Amino acid sequence: MNRAVARLLTFQLPLAAFLVFLLFPFYWMLVTALKPNRDLYNLALNPLWTWTPTLDHVRRLLWDTHFLPWMRNTLVISVGATALSLAASLLAAYAIGRLRFRGSGALGITIFLTYLVPPVILFIPLSRIVSALGLWDRPAALVLTYPTFLVPFCVWLLLGYFRTLPQELEDCARVDGASRFQVMRYVTFPLALPGILSCLIFAFTLSWNEYLYALVFLSSTDQKTVPVGLATELVTGDVFQWGPLMAGALLGSVPVAVAYSFFVEHYVAALTGALKE
Amino acid sequence: MRHRSERVTRRRFLKDTARAASALALSAWGLEAGRKASDAQELTFPVERGASLRVLRWSQFVTTDRPIFEENAARFTQRTGVPVRVEYETWTDVQPKAAAAANVGSGPDIVIGFFDEPHLWADKLVPVTDLAQYLGRKYGGWFDVCPQYGYSPQRNAWIAIPIGAPGVALNYRISWVREAGFDPDPARFPKTTDEFLRLCRALKARGHPTGFALGKAVGDGNTWVHWCLWAFGGRAVAPDNRTITINSPETANALEYARALYETMIPGVAGWLDPHNNRAFLAGEISLTNNGISIYFAAKNDFPEIARDMNHAFFPVGPVGRPTELHLFSQAYIFNYTRYPNAAKEFLRWIMEDTQYGRWINGMLGYVSHPLKAYTGLAVWRADPKHLPFRDAVARMLPHSYAGRPGPEAARALAEFVIVDMFADACTGRRSVRDAIRAAEDRLRRIYRS
Amino acid sequence: MDRLEASLPRVAARRAAVGGLLENRDALGWAMVAPALLLLGAFLAYPFLLGVWLSFTDSRIADPGRFVGLENFRYLVGDGVFRLAVLNTLLYAGVAVVVKFVLGFALALLVDREFRGKRFVRAAMLLPWIVPTSLSALVFYWIYDSQFSVLTWVLREVGLVDRSINYLGDPNLARASLIAANVWRGVPFFAIGLLAGLQTVPRELYEAAAMDGAGPWARFRWITWPLLVPVAVVVTVFSTIMTVGDFQLIWIVTKGGPANATHLFGTLAYQRAVQGGFLGEGAAVAVFVLPVLVACVALAYRALRRED
Repeated sequence: MNRAVARLLTFQLPLAAFLVFLLFPFYWMLVTALKPNRDLYNLALNPLWTWTPTLDHVRRLLWDTHFLPWMRNTLVISVGATALSLAASLLAAYAIGRLRFRGSGALGITIFLTYLVPPVILFIPLSRIVSALGLWDRPAALVLTYPTFLVPFCVWLLLGYFRTLPQELEDCARVDGASRFQVMRYVTFPLALPGILSCLIFAFTLSWNEYLYALVFLSSTDQKTVPVGLATELVTGDVFQWGPLMAGALLGSVPVAVAYSFFVEHYVAALTGALKE
Repeated sequence: MRHRSERVTRRRFLKDTARAASALALSAWGLEAGRKASDAQELTFPVERGASLRVLRWSQFVTTDRPIFEENAARFTQRTGVPVRVEYETWTDVQPKAAAAANVGSGPDIVIGFFDEPHLWADKLVPVTDLAQYLGRKYGGWFDVCPQYGYSPQRNAWIAIPIGAPGVALNYRISWVREAGFDPDPARFPKTTDEFLRLCRALKARGHPTGFALGKAVGDGNTWVHWCLWAFGGRAVAPDNRTITINSPETANALEYARALYETMIPGVAGWLDPHNNRAFLAGEISLTNNGISIYFAAKNDFPEIARDMNHAFFPVGPVGRPTELHLFSQAYIFNYTRYPNAAKEFLRWIMEDTQYGRWINGMLGYVSHPLKAYTGLAVWRADPKHLPFRDAVARMLPHSYAGRPGPEAARALAEFVIVDMFADACTGRRSVRDAIRAAEDRLRRIYRS
Repeated sequence: MDRLEASLPRVAARRAAVGGLLENRDALGWAMVAPALLLLGAFLAYPFLLGVWLSFTDSRIADPGRFVGLENFRYLVGDGVFRLAVLNTLLYAGVAVVVKFVLGFALALLVDREFRGKRFVRAAMLLPWIVPTSLSALVFYWIYDSQFSVLTWVLREVGLVDRSINYLGDPNLARASLIAANVWRGVPFFAIGLLAGLQTVPRELYEAAAMDGAGPWARFRWITWPLLVPVAVVVTVFSTIMTVGDFQLIWIVTKGGPANATHLFGTLAYQRAVQGGFLGEGAAVAVFVLPVLVACVALAYRALRRED
């Protein structure tokens, strides 16, 4: 009896509170996406529910805008930028954190410093480079420029996770005759997998979310990413098309979370389980 | 030794030059006297071979805009063989994209932006004086505010073609105005600031407050505070574009008036951005606000009873005795990195010619008001009497830089909401009227001295 | 470890030839860092240096301008709006990061165990971070509406308030509202980051400590926390930098108002540089805060590299 109450108080209630706090806006998004326009502005009605749900907004989003091409673009760009950044960051983080070669300290700091000037200033000089490289209005522009804010972050995050791993495991492997590469591949990376995966989800969502570079470097309507496209077509002057916008917000985020839960979580569980034997 | 003939020649030369110069100056403003419309033959620009155009413009405010604009573009392609690609961005996102293009030296050939955007990169643009003069001659002349926005003294040429202005007018609820004891007919709507204040007070007394944006509302906030400032004779900057004249008794009067108006408003306006007043009006929370025709449009679609019960009126006139309004002025400009300047000019000419332009303005159901006088007779202004106050937007407006010139300083003052902040400070009581004026003066001094 | 040991001899033989180069620490180090450096060098070094250079010029958008030394910085120091923006930024980042850390840590601790629905919870708690900021900001824009707020509606139904709350019109309320929105968005970042840190701690250590008689608090204090510090430091520093540079959320909800009460240095830089066209000054706003951030970074780095 006691344990059940304790569990309720120290686990279930707090967790429920967190979930309400984090998910409530999504519930509101859902209701708004299904509510007819009339009811949205009617103060007399309950804002938390709709008795006359409509799929009009969703339909508008999917058929009247270029939402599906935008999803595809954003996916391609995010995957590309994430893969590139993660690969570069893994190598760099291992080198700086584990190899401790000459100059690695200064390098670590430098990689980080470049992060400190915000994109709102960077985007203008960056445009010049993008244009000079012939990448203007091509998704490749984003795949190559997103690492500028993903790599410093991933490098440092991975550095942090690597610090957590006991050096002894790697030393043992080295003593047993493994090369550095083998140590990396068979010891360090698998153990740091939770960290690598969280890096992956961060990098992916930062790319997914990004607005300014996507606005400036891409032009044609069907090349746009989801955040920019939704703003372009569903914000008409001083009128926000709330229904389709919220539908877009939901459709633009829930699938990513679902993918994470099914693939990533599953993968982590399987691997960490196998490794802990 | 000077010969007599030489002296005469020199004097004549000077006289001729003076006359030519003044004629040039006048013609640059499209105000040439004595030229009849019949003198203007159709002007065409020799389109380059293999040309193609990219146009960046603001996203449509109404769903009929885009199909018509693109149809006009398609017909242009049919006529000239020049393919046109139109790109859209939310209206506030056009400027950063244009800025990047200006900086990089490549991007869209034509940009349709707002206010003094072209003046931010005046020397990167193709002069369009010939086109501007042609359109002015052919269509009854530009309204006075147009050359102020389109002409660059720095370049001594027109650098942009005014496209039109999304107009802003007073939106009000007919039944509530009647209830308050005033005649809801727009022709008899309060015409002076005094009478207008009485109306607002009466509305508030009957439980139907007004609402005017005092937050960083680019459209709704700026338009009403500038109207108020100018209506009482206040001005931010002098015609020399250097002297800051905002610290004056006229400005203080404007602020006092605004404070009185604030008492009639619903709470929360200090945080209002552009969409807020639309929502509040459609929900019946406010009886009166300033806005474009978007509220009426949304009402027709989703709130027909409000559409029936609402109307539009001009802003009242203040002690200065004439209209002093601000609307969202839009103009098209051509970057000089374009490889096809003639094609670009020809495109702009095409979309401003009566068949295309008329179709576009009519199709936009009153959202955008024309910059050329001849278009006052367009069908849209007669189709629905409730459209009427929007018709004269460009005719009645002053440039936001008044009494100075559009340019980087005015652009900055607008972007930093200097006037809006001054009004917000005074109305909410955050600062006294005097301190609010001084703060604004300080900020303007910093902006204009560079 | 059986699988590992079994594969080593085979791989070792293959690697023998290239072994020499790979064993050279420095060469290998630099080679591994090369891809990252290349990406950053090409796309960040030049813009960054240019950004810093711009702050020393009177450059406008389409005009490279001239060198003016510290003029922009002097101007900013005397500018009331800038000073307010600095204060706002310190307040905003300070409060938001602390709250996010506490809540994120609590949440990480809560979900670091097996329970039914774990997968759902871990995915659901990601959502605020995943949804594009430009859209979640709109949601808060509506939630904080003075007339239409669902929050006010709920509070009224419950009887806690009797009139509308001016979330975005009152300067202090506006700040609090935006901090709350930022916290909402940022808690998952801390939670996921710290959770991964918690999971990387080898379970054997806990088992060994439990066998030695250590209670939960002792286990936390001597095992969990020290191993978590590196991750915690990195996550906090990055969150601080991102919060200080927060743009989308503020811009969409208040644009820096009311009366510049919610202007951060990121939004101010944008307004000055892009909307006003004064690139040099906007860059100066951004660069002004650099020393502070650099100091944070240096401290964090030292904490990270310290030998245990």
